[in-house]
Amino acid sequence: MPLRETEAIVLRSYRLGEADKIVSLLTRQSGRLRAVAAGARRPKSRYGGTLEPLSYVRLWLFERENRELLRMNSAELLESFFDMQKDYRVQVAAQYVAEVSERFLPEREVNERAFRLLLAVLRGLKRSGEVNRPLAYFNYWLLRLGGFLPDLASCAACGRALGNEPGYYGAGSEGLSCAACRRSPADQTVAPGLLAVIASGCQGTLDRWLAAEKAPAGVRETRRFFEELIESHLERKLVTRQLLAEEV
Amino acid sequence: MKDFAEPLARLIDALKRLPGIGQKSAQRIAFHLERAPREDAERLAAAILDAKDKIRLCSLCNNLTEQDPCEYCTDPRRDPEVICVVETPYNVLAIEKTREYHGLYHVLHGALSPLQGIGPDQLKLKNLVERLKGGKVKELIVATNPNVEGEATAIYLSTLLKPLGLKVTRIGMGVPVGSELEFADEVTMLKALEGRREI
Repeated sequence: MPLRETEAIVLRSYRLGEADKIVSLLTRQSGRLRAVAAGARRPKSRYGGTLEPLSYVRLWLFERENRELLRMNSAELLESFFDMQKDYRVQVAAQYVAEVSERFLPEREVNERAFRLLLAVLRGLKRSGEVNRPLAYFNYWLLRLGGFLPDLASCAACGRALGNEPGYYGAGSEGLSCAACRRSPADQTVAPGLLAVIASGCQGTLDRWLAAEKAPAGVRETRRFFEELIESHLERKLVTRQLLAEEV
Repeated sequence: MKDFAEPLARLIDALKRLPGIGQKSAQRIAFHLERAPREDAERLAAAILDAKDKIRLCSLCNNLTEQDPCEYCTDPRRDPEVICVVETPYNVLAIEKTREYHGLYHVLHGALSPLQGIGPDQLKLKNLVERLKGGKVKELIVATNPNVEGEATAIYLSTLLKPLGLKVTRIGMGVPVGSELEFADEVTMLKALEGRREI
């Protein structure tokens, strides 16, 4: 029964039995994992607030052969994001990030870049209290790291360069369409050149982008376009996206 | 060949849907009921149906009750100036066990949890706001769970209700009685320090 030590971010937890939890984790060394934390829901649990969603922790895990779930031996809190709950918008945004990470990243596939991205975005949300830029950054890089980011400068249907024309997208879109290829009059519009501005903001670190005085106009629309792409690839609706649309 | 006769399999399947009951426990209960006298099984079935038929939500506080309004809301000995907000009906029992709280209750039937699709609209907040508009209530104690969802709900309630001019308080969070400080994590210790009081 090998003991594994890893850094992890708690994505969410599920109740198990009377007092236990199944914790869904994105680990730095082993990718996404699920582990049982025995007694974690008891008031005097040794885990305390360590396993609250979005905590950045160091864990010691046991793994048994032929068992899908790992067993948690102990946990140490490295950074807590508990105080983000003070702003409901930020909380919804952080939980969107957790939901997308859980759905998008395959289990037990090492992805250190995704781990660093998630940590940077959580820190960005916590420090800035802003939602649109951190989420646009997260969506952009997650799509890019997963190889799902389409060519933002040309029409996904006919391949024609969009140039100074607006792009269009709707439910299930896998990229922007030109005016001739748009599927429905209800499709959302992305202003010409906007994605290039956002993509350029995403090239550096999130901290640097957030340090710039103001978010560029249209960052919310871009964020929503990326969300549509993510949902399209997941082939399922994201629960948090609906609340995000209502609040942010 | 089937493992169990059809009626027994159906009973096991129904029991498995209950929280905390797995395949083994469901089988154990099903075999126990099978061996027990018919009256025992009838009593259990009648109790389940009785609870389903007679128990409803109190129109004032949303607690589970047989009579509407519930006995907490109609008890003249309880202080109508204080309302304690909890997530679930069994949280009411936990607070009642202290025998120190004599105000009223309000049950939200959940906590804000975007990951489960639970936003403010899914919580029973409307009748809470109505109760507070009367101006009788002076203090609202938010006793949601001390976790991420409970804390978010508490802060949301405070933002929503403070403009009504009442005192909104949060139950203390921190080191549990009987534990040792050396095992407390940073969040727990920080909350304990934030909630310190003069002695």
